[in-house]
Amino acid sequence: MPALVARREHCPLCGIEFDAEGQGCRPSCPMSKGCKVLCCPGCGYSFPQETGLAGGLRRFFDRRKERRET
Amino acid sequence: MSASAASCHGSKTELDQKKVIAGTRSLILVGNPNVGKSVVFGALTGKYVTVSNYPGTTVEVTRGSATLAGEPWHVMDTPGTNGIMPMSEDEQVTRDILILERDYVCLQVCDAKNLRRGLLLSAQLAEAQVPFLLALNMADEAASRGIEIDADRLASELGVDVFPTVAVQRQGLSAVSAKAAEARRSTFLPRYDDAIEAALGEVIPLMPRQGGIAPRSVAVMALVGDESLRQHLAANLSAEALARVDEVGRKLAARYPESLRFVVSKQRLAAVDRLINAVMRKKGQVSTGSSFGRRLGNYATHPVWGVPFLAGVLFVCYEFVGVFGAKVAVDFLENQIFYARLVPWFDRAIRFVVPAGGVQTFLVGPLGVPFREHSGLLVGKYGLFSMGLSYGMAIVLPIVTTFFIAFSILEDSGYLPRLAVMVNRVFKRMGLNGKAVLPMVLGLGCDTMATMTARIMETRKERVIVTLLLALGVPCSAQLAVIFSMLAGLSPGATAWFAGSIILVLFLVGWLAAKVIPGRGSDFMLELPPLRMPQASNILIKTTARIEWYLREALPLFVLGTAILWGLDRVNGLALLERAAAPVVVGILHLPKEAASAFILGFLRRDYAAAGLFMHYEPFMKAGTMTREMRIEVVVALTTITLFIPCIANFFMIIKERGWKTGAAVAGFILPFSVAVGAGVDALMRWLY
Repeated sequence: MPALVARREHCPLCGIEFDAEGQGCRPSCPMSKGCKVLCCPGCGYSFPQETGLAGGLRRFFDRRKERRET
Repeated sequence: MSASAASCHGSKTELDQKKVIAGTRSLILVGNPNVGKSVVFGALTGKYVTVSNYPGTTVEVTRGSATLAGEPWHVMDTPGTNGIMPMSEDEQVTRDILILERDYVCLQVCDAKNLRRGLLLSAQLAEAQVPFLLALNMADEAASRGIEIDADRLASELGVDVFPTVAVQRQGLSAVSAKAAEARRSTFLPRYDDAIEAALGEVIPLMPRQGGIAPRSVAVMALVGDESLRQHLAANLSAEALARVDEVGRKLAARYPESLRFVVSKQRLAAVDRLINAVMRKKGQVSTGSSFGRRLGNYATHPVWGVPFLAGVLFVCYEFVGVFGAKVAVDFLENQIFYARLVPWFDRAIRFVVPAGGVQTFLVGPLGVPFREHSGLLVGKYGLFSMGLSYGMAIVLPIVTTFFIAFSILEDSGYLPRLAVMVNRVFKRMGLNGKAVLPMVLGLGCDTMATMTARIMETRKERVIVTLLLALGVPCSAQLAVIFSMLAGLSPGATAWFAGSIILVLFLVGWLAAKVIPGRGSDFMLELPPLRMPQASNILIKTTARIEWYLREALPLFVLGTAILWGLDRVNGLALLERAAAPVVVGILHLPKEAASAFILGFLRRDYAAAGLFMHYEPFMKAGTMTREMRIEVVVALTTITLFIPCIANFFMIIKERGWKTGAAVAGFILPFSVAVGAGVDALMRWLY
């Protein structure tokens, strides 16, 4: 099964926001175990979920932005 | 019939126990995908529900019961839809429910953060004259993002009740329940241009009067040539009336350069945008993009200026990926890092840990012999470290990294949806259905994902053809990156031969598909965000996410591929394979015999095959000693590999999505076809190049 983190995601193609849960793209793919690819329910665009190092970078930049704004 | 699934139940006691019973009235939940519709359904009905496939489809519809304002109701949850002019089987089911059910009211659940998408559906419910209520769900999240929606003004503009809700916390749902019985038909009626209104005036009187949605709405669908409505119209209209509708639709369509479906949606969207401007504000938002960004965005999708814009974007990508990534970065990583340092270090480390003798020789070969001249398992000609990891980390990784950076810039700048619009135009000229754009563009990322996206196509035939085209002629990101790098070592003429061959094949197959598929093509609709300056942090994060995905997915297969090569080499299987494939590889395609193993292992990963070829020709490209013969070989090999059978993941996906027969048929067609095209390109180039 796809290994997605349940959270809100933003489609980089059509811009809609959606729940990552249940939006794993490839349950039938032989490599779906541990797969982090999401499929947008609005337009079908696929992209990897930002977890691991990318997730860490996202949190870092978000925190920096927050600090700057406050 | 509003409660067919529950007609055999019916006491108040059962209702109290939240079992499915026959309510006196029906409430149908509609909404875009992923807006919290099922949460609302669960909150209204409790856990005792029935889930069944909608007749004649594999689409699930959930039914339950609820007590709303003291009255028993039958509640139905429909598949998520973006409109009632269906673009997929799911959407068709929702549309058919609205047409076939009687005496119902709708509860539209809308994501308050994506109001434009939600109101586009509201406009269609209004046109259908369906009594409905609007729940602006996830209102808390919208507010936290600075989105302010004037619900009272929206209710007044739409002429229906509007409720901000937070379904997961059950906020606002009691107000929805209390007002369900008072749902009204909306007074918000989008008007189209004079020609469409005149055509509607002619067609509306011919439309069937029975049905859950208004004749005007059915007439719009009939005029745009909605094939999924054909059966309903044929059953309810005389042959003369049906012919008249078709004739009016044809005449109307001839007035516009775009399809009628697109024109209708565009005009409807304009009405929705005016409504949004009146009811929604976003804190801190000055405009939807700078005027320069808007102008640039318009150029990017302009029928004339969009083409040089696209060519410019592709040229910059090619220079960055093919020249910088494939030459500078690969040369540095492969020669300076991998072969000059990492491989010798690893070799020494193994010799230090493993005592001299048979095991050491088995792992890293005899001491003092260059690794390309022995068959060590870890370090050797086909060593897991010296070949598998060097392919994955030193050759393909720098190329895909530059490709992912370029792709992330396109994505973050908002150009990607515009690229889809431009490609849509090209595809339509090729005779392909407009909706095929998304799977085809996605195929440039990963064909396996794109094969699954082919589900959005309406008919089985369309899905099979998109699947075939994806498997046949659309290179995935990793393969495309290696192709870019090889093309960078060729002359512009040879590059044109390769690109021309692939485009011609896609064009011909697309043209044949257009001949085979009956009916009119459907459209691809995508909201275009404003063009904006890409953010360095976003590009870094997106590229990192893709590299992580690539490393997780590709590296194990590169190591497995190398292990297979090593095993074959140990039992002399490679020579056998090369001899067996020689009639095709050498005899027909006039390629070096070593290309046979690249072709066969390309089944594991397409880029593995391309990387093998890259390794073979790289020294000549770097030295600038590529002969005419070699350039022809590279173009023939790249053409054949691009058209060759898909990778193992894509092949399994085709089997899962389309069945064994289709999977075997696709592979059975592609294998000889790719060789035939390769042979054709070879013959033509030797004659004309």
